[in-house]
Amino acid sequence: MHSNGLFLKDVAGFLGSYYTGIAVMNAVAALILWRKKGQTGWAVVWATVAGAMMILASLALSGAESFVPALPAAARTLVNALSGPVLYTLGTTALFTILFVFRKFFVQPMVAWAILNVALVLMGLSMADENFAAIVMKPDNVPIVGLVFLLAFFTWVATKQAVVNDERIRQGLPPMEKLDDEKVLVWPDLVYTELICMVAVSALLLVWAIALPAPLEEPASSVKTPNPSKAPWYFLGLQEMLVYFDPWYAGVVLPSLVVFGLMAMPYLDFNKKGNGYYSIEERKFSYLVYQFGFFELWITLIILGTFLRGPNWNFYGPFEYWTPYKVEVLNNVDLPQMFWVNLLDRPLPRAPQGAGALTQVGYILLREAPGLAVMAAYLLLLPPLLAVTVFRSFFAKMGFIRYMIMANLMLLMLSLPLKMVLRWTLNLKYIVSIPEFSLNF
Amino acid sequence: MAEKKKMSVAEILAAARAQTGAAQPVAPETVVPEPDAAGQAEPSAPERPAKPAAKAATPGTPGSRPSVADILAMARAGKGGSDAAPAAKPAAPKPAAKAAEKPAAAKAQKPAAPKAVVRDTASILAAARAGAKPGPVSKADAPARPAKPPASHKPPGDSAKAAPVVPPVPPRPEKPATKKSAESQEDRRGFLEIALGSFMAMGFTALSVTGGLFTLGLARFMFPNVLAEPPSRFKVGFKEGFPTGKVETKFVAQYGVWVVNSEFQGLQQIYALKTVCTHLGCTPNWLEAEQKFKCPCHGSGFYKDGVNFEGPAPRPLERYAIRISDDGQVEIDKSRTFQEELGQWADPESYVTV
Repeated sequence: MHSNGLFLKDVAGFLGSYYTGIAVMNAVAALILWRKKGQTGWAVVWATVAGAMMILASLALSGAESFVPALPAAARTLVNALSGPVLYTLGTTALFTILFVFRKFFVQPMVAWAILNVALVLMGLSMADENFAAIVMKPDNVPIVGLVFLLAFFTWVATKQAVVNDERIRQGLPPMEKLDDEKVLVWPDLVYTELICMVAVSALLLVWAIALPAPLEEPASSVKTPNPSKAPWYFLGLQEMLVYFDPWYAGVVLPSLVVFGLMAMPYLDFNKKGNGYYSIEERKFSYLVYQFGFFELWITLIILGTFLRGPNWNFYGPFEYWTPYKVEVLNNVDLPQMFWVNLLDRPLPRAPQGAGALTQVGYILLREAPGLAVMAAYLLLLPPLLAVTVFRSFFAKMGFIRYMIMANLMLLMLSLPLKMVLRWTLNLKYIVSIPEFSLNF
Repeated sequence: MAEKKKMSVAEILAAARAQTGAAQPVAPETVVPEPDAAGQAEPSAPERPAKPAAKAATPGTPGSRPSVADILAMARAGKGGSDAAPAAKPAAPKPAAKAAEKPAAAKAQKPAAPKAVVRDTASILAAARAGAKPGPVSKADAPARPAKPPASHKPPGDSAKAAPVVPPVPPRPEKPATKKSAESQEDRRGFLEIALGSFMAMGFTALSVTGGLFTLGLARFMFPNVLAEPPSRFKVGFKEGFPTGKVETKFVAQYGVWVVNSEFQGLQQIYALKTVCTHLGCTPNWLEAEQKFKCPCHGSGFYKDGVNFEGPAPRPLERYAIRISDDGQVEIDKSRTFQEELGQWADPESYVTV
């Protein structure tokens, strides 16, 4: 860790305005609650918070090492020591589960506002750390910070409406959207809105482009790869997938499956409910599968790839210095190696020198027999098994073809988290590994 | 429902226009149920939607030029035409209203219409919204809507009855069809001769010749006069320049190759490793302290001998062909590679024995 006196002076102005912004935000909220909603109690709470933020802002503006609000060094070290891909993935999954199960609690505006405040303050406190600030304030990564907050907001809005609708449906009332189903005209209602949005977004992009110039690097060279070498932020989930799979699978098959799966959704969906209004209770399966695929397998992977993957694509804690010399033991073994060498204590089956092509293929198949068996069981045995157990009603409603498509899409989607878990727990590299034909799974 | 909502911009505009232009005061409440008016005016076709009636009446209003909003409303209300003449079209298959009689019907309706129907745009718009929704209809809305349009377009019982009363069809002008077809057959027979000697043929010939020459010219670019690339076969110095256990990285920038002097399967060798990761093609870095090649893209790691051991890389790095040239220097040939998983590293051309 470097001495960060100079750094704190640089970041003090930003942090001061950041805390002032939070203070203004809370003050406005308090004003609205007081004058419009008449909730004086909450207004007092948020006005107090605004005052506290002003104190934080003045402390931050001092720029002195002993005054700028920051997380204690012990806490940072603890977070760094604890964080790793396993904890990160399990933690986000647990977080989403909690948010989903207790959604009735979290959709309350005051709760959400409190969480927003906590998140913003935590981010401000972390920003006083040089390593954290270097990652978060990098011009490439600023949109992802925005993405986190925007996604949280929109998910919250949708969940709130769904919770309200679910409550109304339970009481036998029509959902909120059915009460106000007047159709407005494209011209002028929609077009004016779009025009205003267009102007506003253009202005925002202009200001952004001037304030945070695009980071240009040295000319590209085929023999020099920057370290770490990162994809554009929207592909970082894909890059994280590539760590666990062969390029043709993670780079071609899985992304195409995402597209085809999304296209297939309306044809696989037999649930007539929830059409045109938000609802969770009425479409729990669709909701959970989609949110898992979107949040857990796409968004959290983007965040992981952006903020927590450093040089040599090693995992770095949020407050850790990105040294390219970090050593991480990642020795991985293929399933055939595990089966033949580690379990049966025999050498890998290998075709004798000068064997014919067919003999070689036979030996390869023998070598990969355990992996191929696992794959066959997963993709061929599991769907019928699920059809007679967990998805019995699905199979009855969907019919054979639709059910099989749905089951296979879902199993292939789940292959990503399963493979990640296998990599972490067993150091498994590939289940089927035929490098002779570039076939690895 | 429409009255409950606040007025849209179009409605406000239309209302303002109607107040200044027309003599009648605009009162949305006076929008009487139009199906009744239509029913009185035209008892022969009671199922017809009211909008064409109101629309047919509009042009009769003195001094009221149809505005854009009016035209829009008309277009939305009646699925067919916009004024009396096109209005006759949907009525054509109908028994009572013949094409010729249709304007008359509309005219007859006119005196009756003013007392019942307010002919300003606001009311027409409002009616268009309140009644048949012009926009896309959701499934939930569908059963609530009256099944008017289908009924009006398809009177099932009447069509059989009214079949004889088809309006007189004007005789078609005689076409000199038979003569033409005979001629065209002759034309077709002579097509090839004409085509080959015509301007068309010359044009296409010129085009294909030009295209061919252009393609050849493009192909010439594949064989440039000067090649800026380093040659694929190059010398890297004498064997003694590569001490035991060292990974030489100074040829990476120019040639994309590591020259390594190391032990592989109990044999001390000098070999040339290709600097392309076998996972997705990034260039790994040689980490001297950890004695491994490490790829910055997805974290693949390779031992000094090029064998993969960590990360997602599925197979070892590739070797280039290497030999001792006539002058005793080590020469690397990048045009040939050797892959371990195919058993090619046993090939004596893939290494130089120390």
